[in-house]
Amino acid sequence: MSASKSRWAEDDPETEAIVAQRKREKEEKRRAKAEKQRLLEEASKAQAQAQAQAQAAATTPADPKSPSQDINGDSGPPKKRRRLSNDPDAPSGGGEISTSEGSKKQSSLLRFPAGEWGPCRHVDNFERLNHIEEGSYGWVSRAKDITTGEIVALKKLKIENAPDGFPVTGLREIQTLLEARHQNVVYLREVVMGNKMDEWLTRSGSVYLVMDFLEHDLKTLLDEMREPFLPSEIKTLLLQVVGGLEFLHSQWIMHRDLKTSNLLLNNRGEIKIADFGMARYYGDPPPKLTQLVVTLWYRSPELLLGVDKYGTEIDMWSIGCIFGELLTKEPLLQGKNEVDQVSKIFALTGPPNQQIWPGFRSLPNAKSLRLPATPATSTRSPPLLPRSRFPYLTNAGLDLLSSLLALNPAVRPTAQQCLAHPYFREDPRPKPKEMFPSFPSKAGLEKRRRHHTPEAPKHGQDAPELDFAGVFGGAPGGDAGEAGAGFSLRLG
Amino acid sequence: MAHRIAGLKHISNALATPDQLSNSSSSIDGVPSELETSIRCAGAQLTQDAGVLLYLSQDIIAQAVVIFTRFWLGADGGSLRIYSAKDVSAAALYLSAKLSFQPTSPRSVLNAYNFLLSPQASPLWFVNPQGTPSQPPATDYYILSEGSYQAGRLVLLRIESVILRTLGFDTHVALPHTIALTYLQTLGVNNSEVSRRILEHLNAALLSPQLIYVTHQPNALAVAAIYLATRENGVKLVDGEWWEVFDVDREELGFLVVGMQSTEGFLRKEKETWKGRTIPLVTEEVDAEIERRRMMEEGE
Repeated sequence: MSASKSRWAEDDPETEAIVAQRKREKEEKRRAKAEKQRLLEEASKAQAQAQAQAQAAATTPADPKSPSQDINGDSGPPKKRRRLSNDPDAPSGGGEISTSEGSKKQSSLLRFPAGEWGPCRHVDNFERLNHIEEGSYGWVSRAKDITTGEIVALKKLKIENAPDGFPVTGLREIQTLLEARHQNVVYLREVVMGNKMDEWLTRSGSVYLVMDFLEHDLKTLLDEMREPFLPSEIKTLLLQVVGGLEFLHSQWIMHRDLKTSNLLLNNRGEIKIADFGMARYYGDPPPKLTQLVVTLWYRSPELLLGVDKYGTEIDMWSIGCIFGELLTKEPLLQGKNEVDQVSKIFALTGPPNQQIWPGFRSLPNAKSLRLPATPATSTRSPPLLPRSRFPYLTNAGLDLLSSLLALNPAVRPTAQQCLAHPYFREDPRPKPKEMFPSFPSKAGLEKRRRHHTPEAPKHGQDAPELDFAGVFGGAPGGDAGEAGAGFSLRLG
Repeated sequence: MAHRIAGLKHISNALATPDQLSNSSSSIDGVPSELETSIRCAGAQLTQDAGVLLYLSQDIIAQAVVIFTRFWLGADGGSLRIYSAKDVSAAALYLSAKLSFQPTSPRSVLNAYNFLLSPQASPLWFVNPQGTPSQPPATDYYILSEGSYQAGRLVLLRIESVILRTLGFDTHVALPHTIALTYLQTLGVNNSEVSRRILEHLNAALLSPQLIYVTHQPNALAVAAIYLATRENGVKLVDGEWWEVFDVDREELGFLVVGMQSTEGFLRKEKETWKGRTIPLVTEEVDAEIERRRMMEEGE
């Protein structure tokens, strides 16, 4: 092979063939796209011409008003009125009122994004491709939109014996997802239904959420990875998750079930918060809410101690757990039940006392809590987590993690404060999303490509008996004919 | 160009398309448009009164009325000959309460509607043309039997799902009430009479035959209510086109002010037109009313 070729390049003929084919396909796609673009441009040009002609015909020179109407009507930048005509090409009638005074000053008014509503489509508009690991985030399958060919994720809502009609959790999930439009929140495209939707009360009616398909969830990915993410990658991921969460909180939405399996990642390094089955609006002052939220391993101590008025701090605790999991690749606090969870938490953070968590004694479940009498030594609030658990974390990182996992909810930073933490500004900087590594997608049924590299010798094995007799030429059925040539010809 | 600012969804609504405004499922089914308007308006009043009986706060009630209004619009919307207005009203109220901080039970909703729809006991003029009875009516007129409760519950939950399907599960309704009060403070007006009047205008506008809650964004409704309320109370606002500060142009403001002012006259006329008769809130009654009109036309 020539010297100019990169040494990373694969020189296996099979791979080369695949690469060549991919290249061809890409080329083809690009050509098709260019062709489409050209056709579009032609069409719009023709349309513009036709319009100009029509206008010229309509504008008789005797009409003195028409030139000004041209200026304010069609070409003036701010549209003065929501267009009510069905024909998008009709010259807007809004121009006429503004001819006299409106043309003097052009005030730019904010136009609200006016959505529309329409009835649900049927789920048969989608072709189901495969199940995405059941149980990881509900009954989700990968599907193809038959009309557009786009790949989407279909999530079937669990509707079992609904005594109060459509389950409020499902309604909240849809409502919050529809309202939370953010680059780090999974995009809900529409809601579709199976057979007769009104029949779920009696039998098989079903409702599906159609969402953008993302290749990975963070949990499966962490399980598959041999090494944890690099520090720069962790920062990129965490910044995005907290950024999405900051938006949710600013919209008065609490997620209440943040965990790695609810964080979806695509192959462009973008991470999105998903599964809003527990999400709901909150208020200020907080209303009474159920404490039965958040998966146990990510549940905050105040929830475990039975608080009934809580706020966004519970999401911040989960963020702390996720941060820890990203660092070590293992869930941070794997309690077997509520009691075990509490003890695991206290083992990590140290037991609470009146100084670091004033008022925790008055929580419903704290009565039965028996704590060792710990002298209040720590001057820091919140106290730092043990360094030994996170040996590779910088001081700033440990500070952030300790504040997220503060027992006292009032001390935990808000999502906004979290984003401003120095940890994200020190080296190594967050890795640009474009530089993020990509992984084979389990949900998309992709396999990790096998690298047939030999394994390192195992310690303690017997040294094999070796026979080096065949190293130089003496191999049976030898290739003597080619001997002496400066290169070897490979076929196939 | 319109700027896309994240989070605007919070204070804006999905609006009816021109198609949805010009065609309704009911008109396709042969319901005369003024009858449709009457029923829609009566249904909105019914929703409002039921909400008050259930001690729901006005924002929940207003959201229910908007959902009720949206349901009938467009060729894909609900038809008055297929769905009874009273059922849609009840389900809309139940649904918006469910999503709020003040959920209510199917039984409470059905009790309230049973009372309001009783031809003997109801205080509503379009249900009970004799007017509110002076004596407390006999309880048999409005007590819900267990059998009717079970049947009514099934209907309520079925219509709830029909509403959800028809609206594509978009239950988001942003209201102008709090926006209006915020704007009023921004304008430096601190007058409780004006604030009260603004809320009155906004609540009355829920019954507007122009359906302004589904054709205009909340900020525009808020500005129009402020304009009217300050004018009526002789409160002077800043000079200049202050409404543009709140992203409403003169034309839109003018339309909404006229629309809000005309609501009262419209309701008076409705009362006059239907004097001594009930407005049909059930599909069979709608059919009968259409048949009656046809007979009258033929008789002439």
